Amino acid sequence: MRRLRRYAIPFVAWMAVFIVVPTLILLFLSFSDYSLYDGGPFAFTFARFEIFAAPLVLTAIGNSVALAGATTAACFLIGYPVALYLSHLPEKTGKILMSLLIVPLWSNMLLRIVAWEKVFTPDSFFTDLTGLSIDLLGSKTAILVGMVAMYLPFMVFPIYSVLEKLDRGLVEAARDLGADDAQVFLRVIFPLSAGGVLSGVIMTLLPALTSFVLPARLGLGRVPLIGNVIESKLMKEVLGSSGRSINEGALVSLSLMVLSIVLYILATRFDREGETLL
Amino acid sequence: MTARTRKRLYQTVGACFTAAAFLSVYTPIAVILALSVNDSLKAYAWEGFTLRWYADLFATDVMHDPIMNTLLVAILATLIATVLGTFFAIGIHALDKTRRTRMMVLNNVPVVNPEIVTGISLLIVFSLLGFTLGFHTVLIAHVFFGVPYVVLSVMPRLKKLDPNLYEAALDLGCTRFSAVLRAIVPNVATGILAGALMAFTMSIDDFVITYFTSGSEYMNVSTWLYAAIGRSRSFTPAAYAYNAIIFLFTIAAIIFINSRKEKKEREVRR
Amino acid sequence: MAKTLITLSGIEKSFDGVKVLSDFNLSIDENEFITLLGPSGCGKTTCLRIIGGFETPDAGTVAIDGRIVNDLEPNQRQINTCFQRYALFPHLDVFENVAFGLRIRKVEKAEIVRRVEETLRLVKLEGYGPRAVSTLSGGQQQRVAIARAIVNRPKVLLLDEPLGALDLKLRQEMQYELKEMQRTLGITFVYVTHDQEEALTMSDKIVVMNQGRILQVGTPEDVYNEPKNRFVANFIGESNIFEGVMREDYLVSFCGREFKCVDRGFAADEPVDVVIRPEDFDFVPPSKAKIVGVVDSLVFRGVHYEINVIVEGREYTIHTTKTRSIGDRVGLAVDPSLIHVMKRDVHA
Repeated sequence: MRRLRRYAIPFVAWMAVFIVVPTLILLFLSFSDYSLYDGGPFAFTFARFEIFAAPLVLTAIGNSVALAGATTAACFLIGYPVALYLSHLPEKTGKILMSLLIVPLWSNMLLRIVAWEKVFTPDSFFTDLTGLSIDLLGSKTAILVGMVAMYLPFMVFPIYSVLEKLDRGLVEAARDLGADDAQVFLRVIFPLSAGGVLSGVIMTLLPALTSFVLPARLGLGRVPLIGNVIESKLMKEVLGSSGRSINEGALVSLSLMVLSIVLYILATRFDREGETLL
Repeated sequence: MTARTRKRLYQTVGACFTAAAFLSVYTPIAVILALSVNDSLKAYAWEGFTLRWYADLFATDVMHDPIMNTLLVAILATLIATVLGTFFAIGIHALDKTRRTRMMVLNNVPVVNPEIVTGISLLIVFSLLGFTLGFHTVLIAHVFFGVPYVVLSVMPRLKKLDPNLYEAALDLGCTRFSAVLRAIVPNVATGILAGALMAFTMSIDDFVITYFTSGSEYMNVSTWLYAAIGRSRSFTPAAYAYNAIIFLFTIAAIIFINSRKEKKEREVRR
Repeated sequence: MAKTLITLSGIEKSFDGVKVLSDFNLSIDENEFITLLGPSGCGKTTCLRIIGGFETPDAGTVAIDGRIVNDLEPNQRQINTCFQRYALFPHLDVFENVAFGLRIRKVEKAEIVRRVEETLRLVKLEGYGPRAVSTLSGGQQQRVAIARAIVNRPKVLLLDEPLGALDLKLRQEMQYELKEMQRTLGITFVYVTHDQEEALTMSDKIVVMNQGRILQVGTPEDVYNEPKNRFVANFIGESNIFEGVMREDYLVSFCGREFKCVDRGFAADEPVDVVIRPEDFDFVPPSKAKIVGVVDSLVFRGVHYEINVIVEGREYTIHTTKTRSIGDRVGLAVDPSLIHVMKRDVHA
């Protein structure tokens, strides 16, 4: 076995090139005035942090945190009972329903967003089919509903995988020791599924926080999120303008990266090798 | 309240939540399916049933390039990521516990990192290396985010293996490399397959990372769609038809896999 | 004099700075059933893995047939291994598991079939060829593992606690079968176990190990009757061990009394350890006995009773077929030839 370790060496090299190096560059860009494309002399500075004071960015952060937080909370409140219910079904039925809940993820994300646009437009094609006329496009509610529908399976799946493997004997043992339904849930089932919940939160919160197409389309651009800031800093402005925005975009991405790694490390306390991430 | 009525209450509540979950997740799918047979270009209203978008998909070449690009990248990236990921997993699994945990944290960074950050990181590496953005950079990017999924799904299989399997093969005369192929790989095949499937679905549906690494010329279905709905002139409902076909295909695949599993189980019982 | 097949000399091995084997010297004869016996973590498995080629020693040499093989890969050695948890290939059926080594060496197809079937017959698994290994019982899997190894006709078969996962009854059966197989095949068996009974039953030679060192090498009778030190005496069989002093040849003193014995060659008044096996005590009337005590506990063990007698605050363990009641005053006697005197254990 020991001899197989050398297969891990190219892995380290591969990860170093694509993760460690870019992270270092993001760090460098965030704390300096170096221009990535023009080169030249540079000095270290904290000036990039000013971006967090810009009104647009502040609004975006506020919107992102509020919407991603609400999305995650909603996904958890809907997703946990669903996972619990599926895990109590006969194994085969549960698994089939679980995979049916995942199948829609195979559909193109952009088209699913377009579909929600149709749903949220009054007197539309959707009204012709269902008789429902919904006027939500451009509101935060529209973004929230779209996000919950988009990320719900990512919350249900890790929780389901943990609950499904849960030893039924533990529940019986708790009952035997005098616990009622609420106590069984709060003291046995929920603590044991905490790892799955955390994975679910990571898989929901981070994409929700950083999505940029969904808020742009369902919010009609009226509700800017962090993802839109990064996109505009790095993709749109870069093509024609000053290198400064690259550095600012780098700082925002780096902050997100730190956030995601912190969350992930928190999760590893429950699941050392991240197996519930799948 | 008796235990039985309580149980029934829990079940009803659970079923309601599950129904709500399915409703929210399947609403856009149903809309896409309806749009794919709606006889209208702009789809402002329902204008009758048609199959012409499906015919368009095969007849006209509007979406031909993006679809081909998507499939080619997905297939190649899956193949490469599967081979790399399998060997990486075998290597990581052979490490001692602390280093293995550290490697797995590294492995999971791209999984938990927001796609937009991964996209930017890759963009930085490619521009530093002086690569021209296009097919090759997209392929590398897709291999990159496919590998962790393969590693993640092969690893639990490796853990279940008898630790001496590899040595048993050496003992019986295999060289180091053929021992891996003959003793380990066949026994983690289901994990490899699952990982490949993950990598493939991630690749075929990817938008964000392709968006950042493809440059302005090269497009897959998602980036083409993004550009098309932005301009809305070149958009065609054939995209809905494409998506409907993919959706029906995955449903069929799931039914097929499940029925085969059942058949196998019945055989084992006999 | 049997021919030496494997020689380990001056082997040293550490893992992450922890010494597992130090100055390890051992020679293994052809056609020998040799057992490495010791508690877990004593280095016996590492020793086996060094012979098999799965580990390379940090220092020292491994020679097979007089040829140094330190750098030879496992697949280049005429040695096969029967692994602890069998390591059967789950993706292959019984036949293909056994045929694995032959296929690797590209043996002719008809020959493979002939040899695999012959070997399956030998391990009493005739007709099991097409079965999946997961459907076999523990004992059957064990047999497949042995068949898979011996079908290659190795010079040496290494067995790493092969019976550890089996229940008692099956383990005893397999012990006889393994011994029988070793005789008929004429292969050298190097066997690793922590079970002293297993070692005593099967081995031609036992190597008792602790903390990476060899404590004693000898026949089962040797190590049982003439343990070299306190550790060996304790590890193999149950023992009453007393600290004593060798007064002169054939006279040892312990527990404040002097006893005749059959040991000699110690310095006058040399401190020694004295071993008396529990079955070697006899009950005699207290009036005639040198040792007198009170029965403290009594447990029926099937073949014999295990009786603890307290003598002057010290506990003696006795195995006997006679019964006594708790609280009885009893006298103990022991035949001089059954008193075994050992050098004081420096490691202890």
